[in-house]
Amino acid sequence: MLKKTTVNQLSDLASALMEKGTLVAPVREDAGFQFREITDAKRVDLNFHNTVISPKSVFFPQTEDFVRYRTGRPMQEAEPVEPQGKPLILFGVRPCDVKSFEIMDIHFSGTGDVDPYWQARREAAAIIGYAFDLGAPAEPEEFYQTLGIGAADPEGSDIFMVRRGDDLLLKSITGKGEALLTGMGGLAGASADDEKFFDDTVAAGRDFKTRFTCVDAEVITKKLEDLFHNTDFWEKASNACLSCGVCTFACPTCYCFDICDETLFQQGTRRRVWDACMFTDFTLEASGHNPRTKVYQRLRQKINHKYSYHVRKYGVISCVGCGRCTRYCPVNIDIFSIVEEAMKA
Amino acid sequence: MRSTNPYIPMPVEIVKITDEVDTHDIKSFRFKFLNAEDESRFQYLPGQFAELSIYGKGESPIGIASSPTEPGYVEFTVQRAGAIVPGLVTAALHDMEEGGKIGLRGPLGHPWPIEFLEKKNIVVVGGGFAFTTLRSLVTYMLHGDNRPRFGDITVIYGARTPGLLCYKDELAAWEKRSDIKTIITVDKGNETWKGREGFVPAVCKDVAPSPENAVAVICGPPVMIKFTLPVFFDLGFSKENILTSLEMRMKCGIGKCGRCNVGYKYVCSDGPVFSLAELEELPRDF
Repeated sequence: MLKKTTVNQLSDLASALMEKGTLVAPVREDAGFQFREITDAKRVDLNFHNTVISPKSVFFPQTEDFVRYRTGRPMQEAEPVEPQGKPLILFGVRPCDVKSFEIMDIHFSGTGDVDPYWQARREAAAIIGYAFDLGAPAEPEEFYQTLGIGAADPEGSDIFMVRRGDDLLLKSITGKGEALLTGMGGLAGASADDEKFFDDTVAAGRDFKTRFTCVDAEVITKKLEDLFHNTDFWEKASNACLSCGVCTFACPTCYCFDICDETLFQQGTRRRVWDACMFTDFTLEASGHNPRTKVYQRLRQKINHKYSYHVRKYGVISCVGCGRCTRYCPVNIDIFSIVEEAMKA
Repeated sequence: MRSTNPYIPMPVEIVKITDEVDTHDIKSFRFKFLNAEDESRFQYLPGQFAELSIYGKGESPIGIASSPTEPGYVEFTVQRAGAIVPGLVTAALHDMEEGGKIGLRGPLGHPWPIEFLEKKNIVVVGGGFAFTTLRSLVTYMLHGDNRPRFGDITVIYGARTPGLLCYKDELAAWEKRSDIKTIITVDKGNETWKGREGFVPAVCKDVAPSPENAVAVICGPPVMIKFTLPVFFDLGFSKENILTSLEMRMKCGIGKCGRCNVGYKYVCSDGPVFSLAELEELPRDF
């Protein structure tokens, strides 16, 4: 089903979506665009190229409470915080970020134990993907196309949006998306010409150039396995790294977390918080042993995890080429350049 | 099987504390489940571990020292950490008394491969307090229902001093049995020690267990493992028939938190039990 509205009526579209559930959409803030829960439909803004933090926090928030307890009270009085999925619409997500959810699904709910918090939120959410203006060139740090992700891939979205001049075309991709579109007022029917434009955009997105080295999962996995003990390579690659971890926090597919207890005024919370393999104490054991004390070992871990370990374990590269790690690195380490060097090695 | 939310610990009560060593920093804690359904869900095999959980302190992954052939409780042998890194959970646990209550998440990880071990001669090699899940395995194999499923059982267990040997009463009982060969050694004895002296790798070389239809199960401090593995390899044990258990820092215990990987394997959910053949496939990152 293809419907349409206009960009001038974006706040009407947002208002209609807010009636269906919590709306999370890009808004402009001082530091850049961010996905935020919308309370004022007029704040939704599609003039973004990329958000600072990826939308993973919608399903995997930076802090997630597991248990609330009181110190000095028996542990069986502690109250678990059970997973809850409230109906949510995640609006205006770029195809590479949409792809990240699929990669995270394999880890959190597709293999082994199911993470109930991730799963509850994912099941309750509808995703509205968005192809930004393909007339403008890609940002220099982006490389999703080299990983086989098109700039207008609708897969993974429940509804996919394409902009045509001042029109916004909305196509349902899944049953969930179709139900959502059907139940919404204020949308106009689309023409056969719109249909063609939508399909042409998706096709054009596949050819939308980012960077040029194409990365084959099998090849890079093997290259990195061979390079593992090449300390020289990894020391050069990590020479400037500050171990600040910003690449992992901005990343849509980094999922490492810590579980920690915080107690204040006898009230305590056990929660998970985002953690990063870039930190020294990430692998510090109680014995004092630490397998990754050096910066190069940690950067090696990060790149190997994304481009080698994840492929061996789950069959896919754990990177969508959004470029945030490179954009926000304070010392300009370009992850993709390291991958390119590894491909050449 | 465990409760549907794998992050929520089950309440247990400490019913027995055993001071294992003369330095008093290794104790065994026997726990009883406070809820019967938790106990019936906690179906484990030797080699698995669980997260011991104390609200306000945190969680620690610890190997299960008891055997499923010992119903009614689950036991863990815990060293008080803190010589280098503050060990909040283990210190709090060591300060607790019988009747104290903590939480438990598990069982976690893969057990020793019991079916693979069946009908084979088993050589169990342990050092120091890393003997815990081996104690579980030996106890499991020695149970009347299980003993006929295994061939010869040899245990080689060492500690730095006689006072640092864990499970002393059980070791004495095993030494009296005819269906298990028990060799105890200490790096350095004292005036009352009448047993063997010598490092575990040297004793293994001396005892020289036959590799014929045999599997070596080895757990100990890294330095002991480093020197013991080649002994068994030289004796003719294949890399598939040398098993060990790895440790890495862990949080979730279920392969989600991304912390304990060695190469593409998570030690918690893919291990902690690995054969030497499997370990050699992984990068040296542990």
